[in-house]
Amino acid sequence: MLISLSWLSNYVDLSDKSVEEIEYAMNMIGFEVEGTKETGIPDLPKVVVGEVLSREQHPDADRLGVCEVNVGEEEALQIVCGASNYKVGDRIPVATVGARLPGNFKIKASKLRGVKSFGMMCSPRELGLGDDHDGLMILNQRPDIGKPINDVFTDSDTVLDIEVTPNRPDCLSHVGIAREMAAYFGKALTYPILETDFDGIRKTGEPTLISEVDVQAPDDCPNYYAHSIKGVKIGPSPDWLKQYLEAVDQRPINNVVDITNFVLLEFGQPLHAFDANKIGGNKIVVRKATHDEKIVTLDEKERTLNSDMLVIADAEKPLVVAGVMGSVDAEVDDNTVDVVLESAYFDPSGIRKTSRTLGLSSDSSYRFERGVDPQGANFAALRTIDLILDIAGGELVGPYIQAGTEPVIEREIELNPQFIRDIAGYEISDERIREILESLECSVSDGGESWVIKVPSWRGDLYRPADLSEEIIRMFGTDQIPESPVEVSGLIHQDANTASLNDRFSSYLAGQHFQECVHYSLRSGDEASQWFSRYSLDTLKLANPFTSDQTHLRVSLIPGLLDTLKLNFARKTGMERVFEVGKVFHEYEGQVFEMVSVAFAIFQPDRDSSWKSREEGDFYTAKNILNALGGLANVNLEGVGYRSLSLGTSIWQEDHSAHVGSFSKQGFEAKLGMLNVNLVKEWDLEGTVLAGAFEILPERIKASGKIVKFKPFSQFPPTEKDLALLVDDTLLAETVRRDLHKITKRAVNNRYELESVSVFDVYTGEGVPEGKKSLAFNMKFRSNDRTLTDKEVGEVFNTVQQEIESKTSYELRS
Amino acid sequence: MEDTLKALVSEAEEGIPSVHTRPEFEAFKARFVGPNGSLKEAMRDMAQVPKEDKPRIGQLLNKTKQALEAIFQTALDKIEAAELAAKLGDPIDPSLPSPDPAVGGLHPLTQVRNEIVRVLKSVGFIVAEGPEVETEHFCFDALNTPKDHPARDLQDTFYLPNDATVGNVSKHEDERYLLRTHTSTVQIRTMLEQEPPVRIISPGRCFRRDTTDATHSASFTQVEGLYVDKGVTVCDLKAILDFLMKSLLGNDAKTRFRPHFFPYTEPSFEMDAQSSHLAKVGKDWVELGGCGMVDPNVFKSVGYDPEVYSGYAFGFGIERIAMIMYGIDDIRYFYQNDYRFLKQFS
Repeated sequence: MLISLSWLSNYVDLSDKSVEEIEYAMNMIGFEVEGTKETGIPDLPKVVVGEVLSREQHPDADRLGVCEVNVGEEEALQIVCGASNYKVGDRIPVATVGARLPGNFKIKASKLRGVKSFGMMCSPRELGLGDDHDGLMILNQRPDIGKPINDVFTDSDTVLDIEVTPNRPDCLSHVGIAREMAAYFGKALTYPILETDFDGIRKTGEPTLISEVDVQAPDDCPNYYAHSIKGVKIGPSPDWLKQYLEAVDQRPINNVVDITNFVLLEFGQPLHAFDANKIGGNKIVVRKATHDEKIVTLDEKERTLNSDMLVIADAEKPLVVAGVMGSVDAEVDDNTVDVVLESAYFDPSGIRKTSRTLGLSSDSSYRFERGVDPQGANFAALRTIDLILDIAGGELVGPYIQAGTEPVIEREIELNPQFIRDIAGYEISDERIREILESLECSVSDGGESWVIKVPSWRGDLYRPADLSEEIIRMFGTDQIPESPVEVSGLIHQDANTASLNDRFSSYLAGQHFQECVHYSLRSGDEASQWFSRYSLDTLKLANPFTSDQTHLRVSLIPGLLDTLKLNFARKTGMERVFEVGKVFHEYEGQVFEMVSVAFAIFQPDRDSSWKSREEGDFYTAKNILNALGGLANVNLEGVGYRSLSLGTSIWQEDHSAHVGSFSKQGFEAKLGMLNVNLVKEWDLEGTVLAGAFEILPERIKASGKIVKFKPFSQFPPTEKDLALLVDDTLLAETVRRDLHKITKRAVNNRYELESVSVFDVYTGEGVPEGKKSLAFNMKFRSNDRTLTDKEVGEVFNTVQQEIESKTSYELRS
Repeated sequence: MEDTLKALVSEAEEGIPSVHTRPEFEAFKARFVGPNGSLKEAMRDMAQVPKEDKPRIGQLLNKTKQALEAIFQTALDKIEAAELAAKLGDPIDPSLPSPDPAVGGLHPLTQVRNEIVRVLKSVGFIVAEGPEVETEHFCFDALNTPKDHPARDLQDTFYLPNDATVGNVSKHEDERYLLRTHTSTVQIRTMLEQEPPVRIISPGRCFRRDTTDATHSASFTQVEGLYVDKGVTVCDLKAILDFLMKSLLGNDAKTRFRPHFFPYTEPSFEMDAQSSHLAKVGKDWVELGGCGMVDPNVFKSVGYDPEVYSGYAFGFGIERIAMIMYGIDDIRYFYQNDYRFLKQFS
């Protein structure tokens, strides 16, 4: 909202405040100043009108003149001047000693080539009035000598661009802002004085220009006034009006239209002036548009309306999209003589809907949809009539027509002033509270602990004590909120499980030399279908995506990581280990599930750029990391069991990738290994990528705060046995290991402990038949109370071997 | 015999320089002292030595044995030294870089979030989280946002299709699923779950249907704080934000409140900060976030009695804080993940 300070000065006197003070005040009471614009000449104290009394040649400089200049003081000033376009008797602007011209040019008493000079006669450019610097500015209209130049050029103005929050439609006007300024600075607010009034002063007895106003949609239009003005003379607006409008970026059109715009920006009440002769059938109908009804709005675009939209129509056609914009058909133009003036209150939500649907916003709709003063239509109409009669002539005829009634707003808030102090937490006296409320035109009932506050009709945002607290804190000054220490009482609560898990994930991976990355949560549909075709992707699609590359909720963190590896590879930044922690979305049986996820990727470029090469990582590198991540989530992935990803998958490299867990059974799942080499190539990466991704339902994440229970451990050495088995090469090592573990455990039969059974060698090749592999296991036995003898371990070992031979398909390998 | 023994020693002396590895050494050694080695043979020959010669030859034999052992030992030492040298590799050049991966690091957004979380945890806040796909109820209704508020528009907020079901986020009534536009949703969820006092911070990802440019991003991160108790005041709100800003921006940091409007707080403020650090990046007062006293309607929607409890809430965009703290001029850097950007913060 643009606010002209010179316009504002009609309602509140801020002449003792600098622009900076006014800007500060605006900011601090809730109207953020987003820009400031100066028009006309700036404020120039000590620059006054002078008259040249005499002009002599400078004794030592051909180009300089020495003048006596009358600036309205007792003695004339001697001024040395380099211009030549003036003569004795001319009136010119004179910057006297102490004046400051634009560019912070300070005028001092000085000597020019030995001749004293007490000021400067000015060119337009020196005053900040354009670029003309050809000579002095001759004031041909001969203003009074000594008159401040700012009184001669009164179009100087400062325009502030302020943000008005949606709760304050009353401040979408100069009077609204003036009221705020008056309240903040403790000044009086002056309303324009109306000459027209309800009783018909300035009104003749002639009949009204239209026969009726028929409101067929009273919910959308609770109150409608139509006033008739006959015999106006359309023409350009007077300068003062044009200047105000131009200052706030409004294009002057003609006097009547300008006046309605002026009043809109003065009081925030939109008005519409109809050319009475263009109202067909002599009546105004306020109705819903018919389906597909057409109207050409003032911006010369044809609009197609629907039956939710309110129009102001005549007997035949719509003339205005109500509260939004008029049509070219009912415009006041140069030939207009008779005017019907509309001043109405429309339901905000209807206007908002219409404006959104049409994609058409205007100063009028902007105000109606936020809510104009429900009781403001009348005053604004009378103000407009005043101005029309004064400026465009004509006469008010007939009784005005009112359709509907002025909405009744009687809002009273019971307020205990102590409540304000309780919310603020610092002292604000009862007296000050009352003063502030009254300055905002609230009436405050006398007496007692509890006051009754009557709120003015334009303050629809005030209906509870909390709302009043804001008004008081605001006007009291938020710079009065004292500084104080933070006071804390302890609460026994814990961080969300998801939050602490994410922290653990990222600290672990950063510690493992991974760099954290962050990617958008929305990805393209193409990618989703290429990578995750097993999901029903429509479920993951947004109803209203904004760009085609961000249409779907992400299913995995891996594509983002690949993007990052690609970018960094192309840019040769050397980043090879990346991770992300974030939400991903699974589709399961038609439902979306939000999952906590962590994923990492390691790029292994074909060309090693290091002076010393290291052994490349492989599936097991990824597995080690993934196990750790699972552990951080209190999930033992080895225990759950890794399975090869045998399904033809486009993401993972066959025979070098695996999965563990299942979304539907366990609420978590993970995939890991080498990414499909072709896919990696498509991503323009020359090398291989190892990756892993772990996903878990947030509700599955357990708090990590379990208190550890210490278990004593043996002080005796272990006894170890090794055993190699020939098994089918399709078998998972873990399957065999578990079988062996079970058999061995049974053989030990709790006489001592079987501490571990672990694979230490996998072999195929010479000595191992086709279709088989050799798995070598190490078994570790230990007792809590003694060193085990070879004999007791040997017995168990024999039993184990016998069992394997007799009860399994595994073959002992000697 | 004497000659044989002497020859043995010189044979060993001559042969040993070509012995380099342990297997070679073992084989070489066996030639002399192995079961069929020449020294063993010589020892067997002792039987034929005349008795009177025996002591002398015996001594000689011993000497020979010692000489051989000394030769072997020297050779073995050499081999072991060579093995060790091979095991150790070339002497290091301390100036060469390590070929191993560079240090890892957290993303700057995580770092700023962690820092805010750390500061606020020191004054008794805990971290609360909630889903990114939310319902209109938690994102708008419960936060006192009118049904026809512009923020709910299709053009400003991402929605899931009307028939979408989110398995682990249940609807309040018949409403749409959306991508949350702020983390205030978590405040509602927390207040529904527990009675006051509540003191939480909720960091997390949010979404607005916005054109992405240097200062806007359709996806961004927020951190919000909420404190509800008896007698919480605007003064307390100012105190916590002063504390946070001093912790983040230096002890000379100041805040100021400019009245503003949010549906879920009353009074509402925008918070500006000022510090010598910000002055260095050429900023005077910088708008950093919004705050206010929790609106009584929000309390009603979660079943708290606004006559008994009051509370404050505040929220910041983490990207914005990071941009201002570090002087970053384009929000897209955060999501592009160029290593040259990321590692500046590692």
